[in-house]
Amino acid sequence: MHRLERLINLVAALLHADRPLTADELRNRLPGYAEDHGAFRRAFERDKEALRDLGIPVVLEPVDDAAQPGVVGYRIPKEAYYLKDPGLAPDELAALHLAASAVRLEGASGVAALWKLGGELGEQGPSSPSAVAALPGTAHLGPVFAAISARRRIGFIYRGRARNVDPWRLSFRNGHWYLAGHDHDAGEERMFRLDRVESDVEVTGDEGAFERPPHSGAQAPPWEMGGEEALTARLLVDAGQATWAAAHVGPDAVEAWRPDGSVVLAVRVTNRDAFRSFVLGFLDHAEVLGPPELRADMVEWLENLCPS
Amino acid sequence: MPKLSADERLQRLLALIPWVASRDGPRVDDVCARFGCTQSELVADLELLFLCGLHPYTPDVLIDVDIADGRVWIRYAEYFARPLRLTPAEGLALLAAGRTVLATSGGDDGGPLERGLAKLASAMGVDAGEAVEIELGPVAEDLLSTLRSAAAGGRQVEIDYYSFGRDERARRVVDPYAVFSAAGQWYVSGWCHRVDDERLFRVDRIATATALDSRFEPRATPPELAAYRPDEADPRVTLQLGPSARWVVEQYPVEKVEEVEGGGLRVTLAASQPAWLERLLLRLGPQATVVGGDGGVAGEAARRLLVRYRG
Repeated sequence: MHRLERLINLVAALLHADRPLTADELRNRLPGYAEDHGAFRRAFERDKEALRDLGIPVVLEPVDDAAQPGVVGYRIPKEAYYLKDPGLAPDELAALHLAASAVRLEGASGVAALWKLGGELGEQGPSSPSAVAALPGTAHLGPVFAAISARRRIGFIYRGRARNVDPWRLSFRNGHWYLAGHDHDAGEERMFRLDRVESDVEVTGDEGAFERPPHSGAQAPPWEMGGEEALTARLLVDAGQATWAAAHVGPDAVEAWRPDGSVVLAVRVTNRDAFRSFVLGFLDHAEVLGPPELRADMVEWLENLCPS
Repeated sequence: MPKLSADERLQRLLALIPWVASRDGPRVDDVCARFGCTQSELVADLELLFLCGLHPYTPDVLIDVDIADGRVWIRYAEYFARPLRLTPAEGLALLAAGRTVLATSGGDDGGPLERGLAKLASAMGVDAGEAVEIELGPVAEDLLSTLRSAAAGGRQVEIDYYSFGRDERARRVVDPYAVFSAAGQWYVSGWCHRVDDERLFRVDRIATATALDSRFEPRATPPELAAYRPDEADPRVTLQLGPSARWVVEQYPVEKVEEVEGGGLRVTLAASQPAWLERLLLRLGPQATVVGGDGGVAGEAARRLLVRYRG
């Protein structure tokens, strides 16, 4: 008997059952399982694992039968199995299909999801474009996203310490996935880079355990992420880099364009180290014009790098 | 199409059964197109399904499958009335893909993609915009679209490009193969006629791009979406880093890392491009000492920069 046939029968039996079915019952009822107890157990374990890998919720519950106290059985709860129909209109499904073929998230496939939502659009849909973006994946993305959607607290090891976090949001920026959430040990919002999580992500809390605060979406540049007294730095960037620099800091920070194509930027700084790093990225194509103390900082930093 | 494993075939069947069962005999070729299989693969799966059902597997409790006149019917499979819910990873893959497309196209303003994402997210108990946020490198919209349409139409482009690694700006004629985002940055890959070789260009360092009338033959094989290509021939530099410069190993592809006393590290990196190494050393300042390779790089760069301040 083909394994696929046995798996379909197993899903059908567990989904149709109105009470948990014991392993013995499954062995007796389903064709294709060995009579030998050890061989059955191995095949059954492998099948259960395969179903769980596909996201099929196979649960173990007491049989709740006075004649068989303490006996447990298996079941697939319908409410946990069935897709809640999102009610996608054909054009919405087509747009999602197009997006899924244009963007590749490493380690996760949008194809299986599209099958469940009514299939790929094939000849009716717009022609598939070649991939335009690749996002790296990490093993933690799935579990973390599950916890975000169920609003359950999670625990993991990060930088050598155990963390307890209410997960709020996944952000992809600068080429990495970050989790933003409330860190219970720090008592405030923190960002965690997912590829630096040093353990499995364990779900530790109940569903719906917290409310997600609204998210502004705006992200401050590094030189504004600091607690130092605010200064407005004036930065001259030469013509060759001026367009990029102006785009990078945003149009509000442009003080003046000069006739030679260079630009003067007025940038609010509360983290001088980060600002210095930004300026040094331009090498000798930029100059801190003021205020005097920032300019002096830069000169001192550079002088310290010159051998005396 | 690669042959699917039994698990993947099960995944497809569990999605396909409800879709077919809820319709009155959809066309076989439509089913094949939607679920990405050939007619013979579909027939093979349905022939198995024909033998499936419930205990005691007598004809009255078996799933009924009918294929006739190019159409297919599935009946008596009520327990498969709805597809399996999305796994978190699948849901995330779709949301992330949709959010990425919105982030790169500037949004479709309540169009089908935004609406579809909102519905999908709400079925998963989240808000599409709040739960998943995607930021790709900031680049000018018109630049991207010029490059994309040139790549799609096989037209050469002239770009004004700033090479970050060499700290040099030049005009280049390029056959653009593909425009893509990887590791958070936008790139265009293509044949550069200035160096007569394949090159990868970061879109945010292109000041202007002009589509030319001249054409090129697009490549048959799709390019890889990879941004980083280390080269064995690149010179190496070894740095001793202070404790507060340990982040270097997380940001740059280091080849060798050793712990040193006092919480610092000794790392070896490939440094093919002098300007890249200058930037790194200028930024690290007293937190880095060159212990292997050219030790004068930081001092020379610092002296050059100081000229502006002493002019």
